[in-house]
Amino acid sequence: MFLHIPTKEVKPYELSLNTSHGTSLLKLACLCLYRKKQRGAKMKEMGLLLLFFSVACGKVTGLGPPGKPTLTNCRSPEKETFTCWWKPGPDGGLPTTYALYYLKDNSETVYECPDYHTAGRNSCFFNKNETSVWVNYNITVVATNKMGRTFSDPVDVDVAYIVQPHTPENVTVNVMEDEGWPFLRVSWESPHKADIRSGWITLVYELRSKMEGEEEWEEHFPGQQKTFNIFSVRSGSSYLVQVRCRPDHGFWSEWSPTTKTKVPKFFLGRSLWILILVFSILVVLILAWIIYMNCHSLKHSILPPVPGPKIKGFDHQRLKNGSYKDGLGALMIPEYPPSSSSNDDDLLVEYLEVFVTGEQDISMEEGKEIQDHYCKSESSTCDSDSGHGSCDSHTLLIDKCKETSKDELNSNCEDASEIIELEISQNNQDEKTLSYDGRPDTCNGRVKTWPSVFTPLPQYTLSAIPQKSSLEIVKQHCLSDTLFPPGSMSSNLVNQNESFGPSYWEFSLNSKQLPQIHSQSSKHLQAYSDINISKKDNEITTLFKSTQYVEVKNVNNKDMVLLQPVESGSQSHAEGCPHVHQGKDYSKVKGVNSDKMLLLESGVNVMGQETATCFCDKSETNHKHPPMQTVLPVQEEQKPFAANGYVDTATMFSVPM
Amino acid sequence: LVCSSGSCVSLRRVGTWIESAENEKTEKNCVSVCVQEQQVAPSRNHIGRVNRNCHTSSILTPNDKENAQRMTREELTEVILKLLVAWREPLWHFEQRLRPQSLETSDRAAQVGRMVHEVRSGVQRVAQKMQMLGMIGNFVSGLSSPEAQAPSESSEWQLLQNWDLLHCLRRDANKVQNYLKILKCRIVPEYGC
Repeated sequence: MFLHIPTKEVKPYELSLNTSHGTSLLKLACLCLYRKKQRGAKMKEMGLLLLFFSVACGKVTGLGPPGKPTLTNCRSPEKETFTCWWKPGPDGGLPTTYALYYLKDNSETVYECPDYHTAGRNSCFFNKNETSVWVNYNITVVATNKMGRTFSDPVDVDVAYIVQPHTPENVTVNVMEDEGWPFLRVSWESPHKADIRSGWITLVYELRSKMEGEEEWEEHFPGQQKTFNIFSVRSGSSYLVQVRCRPDHGFWSEWSPTTKTKVPKFFLGRSLWILILVFSILVVLILAWIIYMNCHSLKHSILPPVPGPKIKGFDHQRLKNGSYKDGLGALMIPEYPPSSSSNDDDLLVEYLEVFVTGEQDISMEEGKEIQDHYCKSESSTCDSDSGHGSCDSHTLLIDKCKETSKDELNSNCEDASEIIELEISQNNQDEKTLSYDGRPDTCNGRVKTWPSVFTPLPQYTLSAIPQKSSLEIVKQHCLSDTLFPPGSMSSNLVNQNESFGPSYWEFSLNSKQLPQIHSQSSKHLQAYSDINISKKDNEITTLFKSTQYVEVKNVNNKDMVLLQPVESGSQSHAEGCPHVHQGKDYSKVKGVNSDKMLLLESGVNVMGQETATCFCDKSETNHKHPPMQTVLPVQEEQKPFAANGYVDTATMFSVPM
Repeated sequence: LVCSSGSCVSLRRVGTWIESAENEKTEKNCVSVCVQEQQVAPSRNHIGRVNRNCHTSSILTPNDKENAQRMTREELTEVILKLLVAWREPLWHFEQRLRPQSLETSDRAAQVGRMVHEVRSGVQRVAQKMQMLGMIGNFVSGLSSPEAQAPSESSEWQLLQNWDLLHCLRRDANKVQNYLKILKCRIVPEYGC
């Protein structure tokens, strides 16, 4: 080549280290200096300069051995192969070749790199057969050129510690919804070369994400799993995601290529829509409910409720329910009779006073005002002349009335009545024992009415009797009294004529009996006292009993009262007449003593069917005659009884029993 | 876990079959023992260095994946136990050797020794259980082998310098960990393989 000598002076320390041009320039410089030296300039300085340049020339020109290469790194992607890279040193200007040699684990055998090309320039690739794990590789790179060769520093390599896997593959990001809010689900796969299945390598992963435009990455560590959820995601933004991995002893892989995802705007999951819907329905319901509640109060304020009719003491509901089977029951209030604490104002406490006055009239005081058939039979003094009929079916009462004074009578009557009531109830079955002499008992001149309930048991509801209190029975009794039409009482007054004297008394007993216990036939009079006063043409309305009664059949022409026992059996008016006449005690008039008293004696046992006076119909009444007849002398003078036929037995008679 | 110029041993607990994947930054079960790198004696040739000869080099171990997969379960178990047993005594002596120099390092070495012991007993128990269940056949427990090899080995590891000892320990620990993982994935692949 032709050197072009530059005109200007070349400074000796200007050494260009460029390639061939540079070296040639140096050569020229050295030559020039040499020439100068020969001209005999300053010798010492020249000498130094020369020395300097010769050395420099020798070095810079690379005409010598190559520079020292350096091993940069060795890596294994899957712990089965590995690659080493080196960096070549400055070459000496000569073509340099590099070689890699290695020693394995304390052996002296030197091996050379099997593959320089697979991994690229300045690399060495060790394949599977060449690679041993847990073996120390001592690797050296040698650079060689014409001038010499240079060795790099040796490096110890153990494949187990230099594993750096490839990046994870198939990184996918999906936008998913969790209770209406979006989140990102990232999933990936391990690098395909790394053998995880057999357990040869264990990889752990790292993930990072950021919103597009952000500076900082957000890092997450899923560990060994291959999916991960990112929840802090905003709608309408784009997100970038990257994943990398690392073996348990090794190096991190490179970050995977960025995966970009956009979260759509107004992302509302289905569950969120459902939530909104439910909430709105709730609101609507609450509003409707409020309106409904207010509606009620509005109604009340606009249309105040009309108070319904109310009758004191009247139970509407029961009436409506139809539990009252009869009209009478409708008027009944279950709680009656009220207790003593009840308000008396509401009640009209009635005294039922039935006493016989005048011509066959039964006057009733205040009897008609019975409301709830609460009645109290008041004992009446026994008057001698009152002519009041007495209602008493028991001799006991009679005795008492007779023996006691008027005042006492009053009180005794009350007591007696109770006692008698008790007796009656006890002796329900047993009326025969009642020896009734037919003496009407007038306590206080009033008829004591007794419930006929007591007597005619066989035919009527026996069970009803005990249930009712005596008071109730009295009630019924009294009621029947009230309903008892005046004058309806029939009597077997034989005669209305005056021939009746006080010495006899008559009473008739109706065989008929009105059922009183029956609630249905409440219209029927409750039979009560044995004394039934009846007119001739009146019907016999009441009757009862098991007690034996003597009835006056007739008065014969001798002024004798014919008595006949009445059959014991009781019958309802409707039923007709039954009964076997049972043998019972009866009174038989023995005679009249000088005191103008009718002496009666009790007799036993009258029989004969024919004796039954069946008063089923009136027509019969006068036809039948009991066989037994007692004759009572009649004293004309005394009329101990009123025209209606009641006899004041208290004053008139004594009954021998 | 890199010491300044020494080598670090990180041992993970492999007590149970299921290995917990821990973050590298929080190595709870990792014990780092650092020893100063000794002055390397000038090498005879500048190509190679002083070769380290671990006392466990005599134990044949598979050094690549194919060989490891070719081994049977019993053989793998045997190798694991052999390795673990072989380190019992050296570690104890190592600890004793470090004691005069640095108490802290000595304690850590002791800790390492305990961990190795734990791993060994755990593996032994699991292997016996597997044998009972019929998963593996007969294997040598490895307890008897150290006695046979003791005389020769005892001299070897005593010659080892601290740093070399740690190197050998690190390598063997890595081997054991890997073999156990292979065994696990072979027997119970559903546990995260």
